[in-house]
Amino acid sequence: MLSPGCVPGVMIEVRDLVYEYPSKRALESVTLSVAPQAITALVGPNGAGKTTLLRCLAALEVPYSGSVAIDGLDTRNAPREIHARLGYLSDFFGLYDELSVRRSLTYAAWSHAIAPALAAAAVAKAAQRVGIVDRLESKAGELSRGLRQRLAIAQAIVHAPKVLLLDEPAAGLDPQARRDLSALLVALKDTGMTVVVSSHILAELEDYCTEMIVIEAGRIVGGKAVKVRDDERPRFLIELARARNDLRTFLGAAGVEVVEADEYHALIVFTRNAAARAKLVRDLVGAGFDVASFGESTKALEQAYFAQVKRA
Amino acid sequence: MNPEFVRNFWLELTPRRTVFMSVVLALIFFAAALSGGTTYKPSSVAEFLFYFIVVFWGSRNAALSVVGEIRDHTWDSQRLSSLGAGTMVWGKLFGATIYNWFGGAICLAVLLAYEFTHQGSVTAVIDLVYYLGIGVISQAAALLASLIAARRRHVQSRLGAFAYQLVGVLAAIFIFAVWNAADPQGSFFTHTEPTDFIVWWGQSFDARPFLLVSLATFAAWTLVGCYRQMRIELKMRNGPFVWLAFLAFIGIYAAGFDAWLAGGPQGMGWDVVARRLALAMSAFGILTYVMVLLEPKDRVLYRWMGGQIAAGSPDSAFLSLQAWMMSYFGAVAVAVALAVRLDQLEAGSAPDVSTIVSAAGFLTRDVGLFVLFQSLPGRRRGDFAAVVALFALYAILPAILNGLDLTSALPLFYPKPGTPPWFNPAAAWSEAILVTVLSVTRLSAREHAAGESARA
Repeated sequence: MLSPGCVPGVMIEVRDLVYEYPSKRALESVTLSVAPQAITALVGPNGAGKTTLLRCLAALEVPYSGSVAIDGLDTRNAPREIHARLGYLSDFFGLYDELSVRRSLTYAAWSHAIAPALAAAAVAKAAQRVGIVDRLESKAGELSRGLRQRLAIAQAIVHAPKVLLLDEPAAGLDPQARRDLSALLVALKDTGMTVVVSSHILAELEDYCTEMIVIEAGRIVGGKAVKVRDDERPRFLIELARARNDLRTFLGAAGVEVVEADEYHALIVFTRNAAARAKLVRDLVGAGFDVASFGESTKALEQAYFAQVKRA
Repeated sequence: MNPEFVRNFWLELTPRRTVFMSVVLALIFFAAALSGGTTYKPSSVAEFLFYFIVVFWGSRNAALSVVGEIRDHTWDSQRLSSLGAGTMVWGKLFGATIYNWFGGAICLAVLLAYEFTHQGSVTAVIDLVYYLGIGVISQAAALLASLIAARRRHVQSRLGAFAYQLVGVLAAIFIFAVWNAADPQGSFFTHTEPTDFIVWWGQSFDARPFLLVSLATFAAWTLVGCYRQMRIELKMRNGPFVWLAFLAFIGIYAAGFDAWLAGGPQGMGWDVVARRLALAMSAFGILTYVMVLLEPKDRVLYRWMGGQIAAGSPDSAFLSLQAWMMSYFGAVAVAVALAVRLDQLEAGSAPDVSTIVSAAGFLTRDVGLFVLFQSLPGRRRGDFAAVVALFALYAILPAILNGLDLTSALPLFYPKPGTPPWFNPAAAWSEAILVTVLSVTRLSAREHAAGESARA
């Protein structure tokens, strides 16, 4: 059920947001909207205003002017209701080092109004989601950087929030931990969560974000979000080992929408249905095409970022 | 079940620490008992240890219950939780200090056992209330100070926690001094004559019960203060009515001590009403200075209030009044009433009507200075700069003028009766109007600059 005032298809709505610190203006006329169940990357250099924007979204800061609505609720009028819908992980998060992982999560569950009788199940679910079930009795202070990050995320999602805000979540993680984080965020999105992730490292966002907002000097570059991955119209790249100049014709005849093609490659819009994809590969091979690879294509984030900055 | 209390319980009252505290205190009391009371009586040792563990150490832990969370980057996640302000306050106040109260309970058991056997049950109960009150007030004062600092984001200093602890300790010292002044046996600490009774609103009360009730009332107000500051941290709005109720309480409470002024202005023609109004005005004035220093001078709020008034909704602006504003209006209103009263009494000698009008003018100038300095560049130093300016106005410049034998110019700086009688009020209100105009102009200029920047 939608909250009162909620715009259908919009989970986060920001209008002409201005935020000022005593000595400087951090955000200037920021306007954006985020759809439900999206993973939105907030990208920009250090000091661009990403953290300030996230804190405004989290109803932790009151804007100088403009409005921020989460799930249809205005951050000025209903901050506590918004807090209940949010999970937030700051860039410099803290943990209670002397508490065990289980107690840390239990405290997080209780403090998010999960009844004691249901808290144990919520703790187990959150721990299972982030893969720290085997560490429940360890003290938080004894965990590695990656495991601490997982615990912090588990605390943020223990109450199954509608919106998850993560500020530089992959900072300091090793490659394996980053891959795990990507998989976790996609899994959370698939459960219905709307995720906003800030980072100044484009590569770490490539795997999971669906759209990107570029922020520089407190302004949204280009004035809007850039779609990086179209979930409703996924794109796939076919690569051939041997050139065939009839690739486009063949795909067209098979009823496939071709975005662009040459003798070696074809970028197509196709379904994610595994059986349909398997059939297409079979048909290609059956028609004598030497298929070297067939995989989903994301618009390269870095390319999108620089295209956006260049346009601005 | 209070999650914040339980979390603190897990962290603070571990079995190892509990055993450690018990053993150490037992050894100390055993040593005191072995001395046969020749050096230190166990009850005296227990009293000292109670002050150390509950007041001194407990104030630090109460302050750290907020400052420590900010320092360790866990405060934001607490603010985003579903815990209410009341739950958070008592979870922190009694959770973060539970180890201190555990040690304090052992000390109190020894102390009250001695009181009970030597001075009877009534004294033991009165002392129990006193010790609980001083413990709660000192810790709540430290928590309140740290919450105010958190609101102003002045918690990064290493000395921060010590400063807030000091607020708690100073509150305890004040209570200790007043309590001992009412001690029938007198006090070595305050060097004051013992007082058996207190005259309040013309009635004589036994000193200790009166102070106990006062202690409990101020403890309750301190807790209310913590609750309201916590609400602000949780981004909840506070209406003006609780502060107005506090102003009414403090005005009535202070006015009741008019007998203390009986030897002063009474001789100059002041009656009991004038004395009571003077006390209430002083209390409101002090609160104005304290709150204008503590509260953020938030131009976003001022802009919003101005917009509400311009839009014909002064009631909305009223609901957002800051505590210093209400205190200021209260002080000025009582000053007007006092001036009218003095005029009716035709009190001839100073402090007279012109002095009271001057005091209201200088108060207006001073709060205007705080707002003005806040609107200047380098806002972080705004309050400090305002305090320095006030120090110059009240101390340095008058001292220089005194040195130059220009004492006739002193009424330019602070309330001072002189001739002609209009000079002091005229100077005060001229400066007040000038500072107010400058403040409003500065705020408007920043608004205009911000608007231009937004359009660019």
